[in-house]
Amino acid sequence: MTVVDLPARTHPDERTIADGNDQRKRRRRREYGLFALLVAPNLLVIAVFAYWPIIYNAFLSLTDWNMIAARPKFVGLANYGRTLTDPAFHKTLWITVVFTGLIVVGSLVIGLALAFLFNLPLKGRGAVRTIAFAPHILSGAAVATIWAFIFDPGYGLMRALIEPFGAEPPDWMNNSDWALPGLVIVYLWKNVGFAALIYLAGLQSLPKELDEAAAIDGASTWTRFRSIKLPLLAPITFFLLITTVIGTFQAFDVIAVMTGGGPGDATTTLSWSIYNEGFQAFNAGRAATLSIIMFVILLVVTTVQARVMERRVHYR
Amino acid sequence: MSMLKRRMFLGLAAGATLAGCGYRSVDAIYSQPAGSVPKQYANRTRVVFWSPYGGVNGKAVDKLVAKFNDSQQDVYVEVQFQGSYDDVAQKVAAALVAKQAPDLAVLSDVTWERFFLNDALEPLNGYFTDGFGPGVYQEKLFGEYVVKGQSWAVPFARSTPIMYYNRDAFAKAGLPDRVPRTWSELRSWVPELAKVQSGGRSLRTIAFAKIDGDWQFQGNVWQFGGAYSKGLDVTIDEAGAVAAGEWQRQMVHDLGAAYMASSPSTDFANGLVGVIQESTGAMKTIGSKAKFKVGAGFIPSEVAAGIATGGGGIGMLRNISTERKQAAATFLQFLALPENSAWWTTQTGYLPVVNKAREDAELKKLIAEQPNYGVAIAQLENARQQDAIRLYGRNANVQIYTGLQQIYADNAQPKKVFASVAGRLEAIGEEVKRLYEEKVL
Repeated sequence: MTVVDLPARTHPDERTIADGNDQRKRRRRREYGLFALLVAPNLLVIAVFAYWPIIYNAFLSLTDWNMIAARPKFVGLANYGRTLTDPAFHKTLWITVVFTGLIVVGSLVIGLALAFLFNLPLKGRGAVRTIAFAPHILSGAAVATIWAFIFDPGYGLMRALIEPFGAEPPDWMNNSDWALPGLVIVYLWKNVGFAALIYLAGLQSLPKELDEAAAIDGASTWTRFRSIKLPLLAPITFFLLITTVIGTFQAFDVIAVMTGGGPGDATTTLSWSIYNEGFQAFNAGRAATLSIIMFVILLVVTTVQARVMERRVHYR
Repeated sequence: MSMLKRRMFLGLAAGATLAGCGYRSVDAIYSQPAGSVPKQYANRTRVVFWSPYGGVNGKAVDKLVAKFNDSQQDVYVEVQFQGSYDDVAQKVAAALVAKQAPDLAVLSDVTWERFFLNDALEPLNGYFTDGFGPGVYQEKLFGEYVVKGQSWAVPFARSTPIMYYNRDAFAKAGLPDRVPRTWSELRSWVPELAKVQSGGRSLRTIAFAKIDGDWQFQGNVWQFGGAYSKGLDVTIDEAGAVAAGEWQRQMVHDLGAAYMASSPSTDFANGLVGVIQESTGAMKTIGSKAKFKVGAGFIPSEVAAGIATGGGGIGMLRNISTERKQAAATFLQFLALPENSAWWTTQTGYLPVVNKAREDAELKKLIAEQPNYGVAIAQLENARQQDAIRLYGRNANVQIYTGLQQIYADNAQPKKVFASVAGRLEAIGEEVKRLYEEKVL
């Protein structure tokens, strides 16, 4: 973001000379001109690549269009009515909520635990930190390909690990009960390193005095964690919560490569169903409707989180 | 509130303004997708050809195109690999929205119809010559693209499913060296095949495809006496289709002899499964990967014979200049030469779509040496065009294979699954009905 120094506000008492006032006004106008000039390129890019698609998408959601026909047919709110009353959509929402919930909770809990581990003065922790963070940088499609191999019931790594114990590994991606947990494992593997890194940064910047004081007063490790460290880490948790919820809601890459929303509809999340409606069924109108619904859900979730956290989170 | 209303109005007005100027005009001329022309082919008319063929088949496309480019002075064809059949369709649609158009695109059995229905394809009758057109191509395969006397694409990489079997495993199991004649016969072979060990476990009889398995299943439904639809009237919830689904469900869940595979042909080539129903176009690929003797034969019957044609035809886009259209047509004429059609078959296993290609010496020699290459040609008499709902209903194929996944993965009752699939297909049929009745019937 462009940062611009706006003229400092002056106290009314200082404005004694009328001439100076005029001059200041002129200067201010000039500075606003400069301000507009400096932000214009950024604003234009955002308008063209962020706001315009949203507006256009909202328009498409009111149409019936197969992307090939010469023009969309206006259908009003019919797509919304149809989507909101469709049992398949309800199931999709439920799957999305479960999927997001598991990944968000998992990433935060495991990430925090790893951060504490990485914060200990152990040998080789630098290397381990790097290894834990690495999956986060890999592209989703690559991660999915690796895990498709690990989970493969015929040739997979999982088979090699489990079979010596006499057990048959599940056919992860081709079984409705295992496919969603399988995807959660993959996304956790990919996300946890990031959460751990952010938590670690938070842990290292915590003021030592509070913790030491509590220790001297005889507080147990658990109490110090619960009453001092966790509350102090709240801004970090808040940040991770919002980014993980949004990121998981939009998760697509791994699903596309590993399950294609299946078997049946077992892993059809909101983002997959948008793809399916848009690019497999060529129903641009209904895909746009689903996108708007996702947009609204994320907006509400983020607003609520922000409101709640405003009261609870203490930024230092 | 008034503020909100004003904003909404402005938003809608902006949307409507864009709608007025942003869409495809049926007769507009669109630009070509970017690419590069090698120096020796400069100053020719460039033709962009979007292809879904990679791997072994992709190399064969490249060679055919190179041969064309070197065969004359006026046209340069540039192949652009775009991914799967679905990817090509998506990208063509996206290109048209962006006012761009490739000149030729390979469209699958279930995607060309939507481009035809929405006036995105160039009618081809005007380009036909003695060596390119009706009579030149195999009648059934050519006829599938003819609607009311007008051709909208021409066959290229056309296929049917055939049954591949692991001859080594069959020998070990003490089974005859041939594919089963009926599905019941295959079922009776389950115990023998299970005795064969492969990769540390007993051999499974058959693998069903997780994605796009509805193409093979189209034939299976006919073989059990049913249909996906009669016209657009959905019949997948009726006896024949349910019986076919029930046969497969029992194979997976009651006998443990079958399973759903992400890639049945990979599993087959790795020796994990005894037989698969796979496109004849996979022949070369399977043959190059398998470390055992691969056999091939007709897809079994049950109460009836019948298999679905499939694969890709080439359509010409309508939104391109006359010059590009003429140039593109010369490439289609080149592909219709018997020796080129025959060569394509020898390199891939796809059906020879040109009648005279079957007389080609190279192809005859190949079939004599490797009879597998002749299976699909001989089986063609049982082949027919698929039921209309799968061809014309947008996403009907996905709805059907998603239903099949529930049967394979969850042991769902076919009757129940197909009742729910039928509901979705009816809604899909309703959407396309007006255009279908206007343009096809």
